Amino acid sequence: MSGANAPVASVWWRSDLARSLATSPVALISALLACGLTIAALGADVLAPVNVFDPRQANIADARLPPGATGLFGDSYPLGTDPQGRDMLSAMLYGLRTSLLVGLSAVFVAAAIGVALGLICGYFGGLLDAVVMRVADVFLSFPPILIALLIDGVARTVLDRADHARIALPVVVIAIAASYWVQYARTVRTLTMIERKKDYVLAARVTGVGAGRILFTHILPNTLSPVLVIATVNLALAILTEATLSFLGVGIPPTQPSLGSLIRIGNEFLFSGDWWIAIFPGALLFVYALTVNLFGDWLRQALNPRLDR
Amino acid sequence: MQDDVLLAVNNLTVRFDVSAPALKRLITRSPRRFVHAVEDVSFTVPRRSVFALVGESGCGKSTLARAVVGVERPTSGHVSLAGRRVSGFTTRAAERTWRSDVQMIFQDPQSSLNPRWRVGRSVAEPLRTHRMVAGRAEAVERVGALLEAVGLSSEDARRFPHQFSGGQRQRIAIARALSTRPALVVCDEPTSALDVSVQAQILNLMRRLQREFGLTYLLITHNFAVVAHMADHVGVMYLGRLVEQGPADVLLADPKHPYTRLLLDTVPDPARRGRAREPMKGEAPSPINPPVGCAFQQRCPLATARCAHERPVLRSAGRTAVACHAFEERRLPPWRTSIQPDLQSAEGSR
Repeated sequence: MSGANAPVASVWWRSDLARSLATSPVALISALLACGLTIAALGADVLAPVNVFDPRQANIADARLPPGATGLFGDSYPLGTDPQGRDMLSAMLYGLRTSLLVGLSAVFVAAAIGVALGLICGYFGGLLDAVVMRVADVFLSFPPILIALLIDGVARTVLDRADHARIALPVVVIAIAASYWVQYARTVRTLTMIERKKDYVLAARVTGVGAGRILFTHILPNTLSPVLVIATVNLALAILTEATLSFLGVGIPPTQPSLGSLIRIGNEFLFSGDWWIAIFPGALLFVYALTVNLFGDWLRQALNPRLDR
Repeated sequence: MQDDVLLAVNNLTVRFDVSAPALKRLITRSPRRFVHAVEDVSFTVPRRSVFALVGESGCGKSTLARAVVGVERPTSGHVSLAGRRVSGFTTRAAERTWRSDVQMIFQDPQSSLNPRWRVGRSVAEPLRTHRMVAGRAEAVERVGALLEAVGLSSEDARRFPHQFSGGQRQRIAIARALSTRPALVVCDEPTSALDVSVQAQILNLMRRLQREFGLTYLLITHNFAVVAHMADHVGVMYLGRLVEQGPADVLLADPKHPYTRLLLDTVPDPARRGRAREPMKGEAPSPINPPVGCAFQQRCPLATARCAHERPVLRSAGRTAVACHAFEERRLPPWRTSIQPDLQSAEGSR
């Protein structure tokens, strides 16, 4: 790092990070797989053979057909059908989209709250810091699922059934974000406390740069790489939490398939021998979570200067 | 030396509350505790001169510097710049003028520049904060001129801090400090993190810039060679208080406080090889519980009973001022005849 004549990394594919990715097969495969699945999920409307939100496209006569079967009217179902006669492949693509939507929004909300609180607490300290960190301790002492169940439960009691179905997605997002923001807040707070003592921050203060500007232009960019790493790991965790909530029947309503709700439905038919309804969404969830996690793991090592080769 | 006073520090006291949290204090019945970082310090710095503050680490000189630049709130006393009080600005505009009039140079060039910013952006930060440049082109031009003034090239503005050596980074930090055309530059140990060969370059650069820009320096250091090379006036700090101050040549030639003498004795001196060196005894007492009487009593070879219970005050002693009972009581032995080697070693590095 201290080489005075080190070339400036002007294009991203020549940067150290890209080189490190290219030389790590596990990370590269994970990244490609995760990207491919993400694109498939986002393009579900185009790619999926059947629109699972449209009841007219499902044929109840084709319910619970095994993989590779052909339906009553000649439709082919490469991964079989679910109990409503919907094409499993389509349901999984739409399900992954819902799961991703929930996961990404939850991570984004959690990171935004956590980073903002971490910056403010770390920079100003004092009473606010003490209060926020004690609240964070409380959140940390409960398992994420419990917090999510609590928030969802409250939402269910407060809202009537129709309203709840409409805002089920935001509720799940908030429930998951509420349990994950603590990690961001703690990490960013610690880093902020380190950065604010550095002379470049002092120089800005001496010059009269305002606290908000110092936080956003100086400190925030210097705390972002760990946040990025936590976010990738959390994305997988958030998707799993959503799946767990849906599996328990408190998350996304069955009308909107998510990977979790598909697994839950499939679970009821496992003992009838209809394994594909649970196993395929489960396998997709497993692969997606694994690839995102492996990628996050690699990113953590690649961005940590202390592990620099 | 003009008598136009630029910086005046009046009875400045800075204390830090290091008490345990309120609840713990209540349970253990421990009292509130304060670090007495700076205690009742007064001095003035004439325009276009260099005032050096000398002392061991932990004596409060950096806190004093931070109070002067306005990032540390004085517990009592005040700092004024060209007659304008620094603490308690009446208007936002007053604070702005003052913030652009006082800049700072730091000890560690590794951390004084934001590692993710191109150095041009760092140098331009004060200019943009004070809206001293109209547009991007003007900023680039000003930054280029500043970098050239400190011996770098204007193209360096596009590079990142890690592409520069420590000495170069210190030059960049100096360029940033000069960008607003300040009257006063506070330098907190500007050379102590640098290689010896680079130290002299930076000091000479600072001298040259002082002439070119008409600067006044408040120089924080523990290095007497730097003092001899740079300073017009010297203040010696011990445990938050000034124990001796005066013109640099007079003070270095005839130090009157035992602490100043001890500090000067620790300076390696090639001209007096083989002399019996007095190792510094003990450590400075804790600034949390400063002793009654003279703070230096435990380490002072001349301490008496009076020193243990009565704090000496800074009194005029010819052209310098000194806070010492032994000096007042004329118990002070004469100082060795020559301390010139200190000056010579600094000359040699020019």
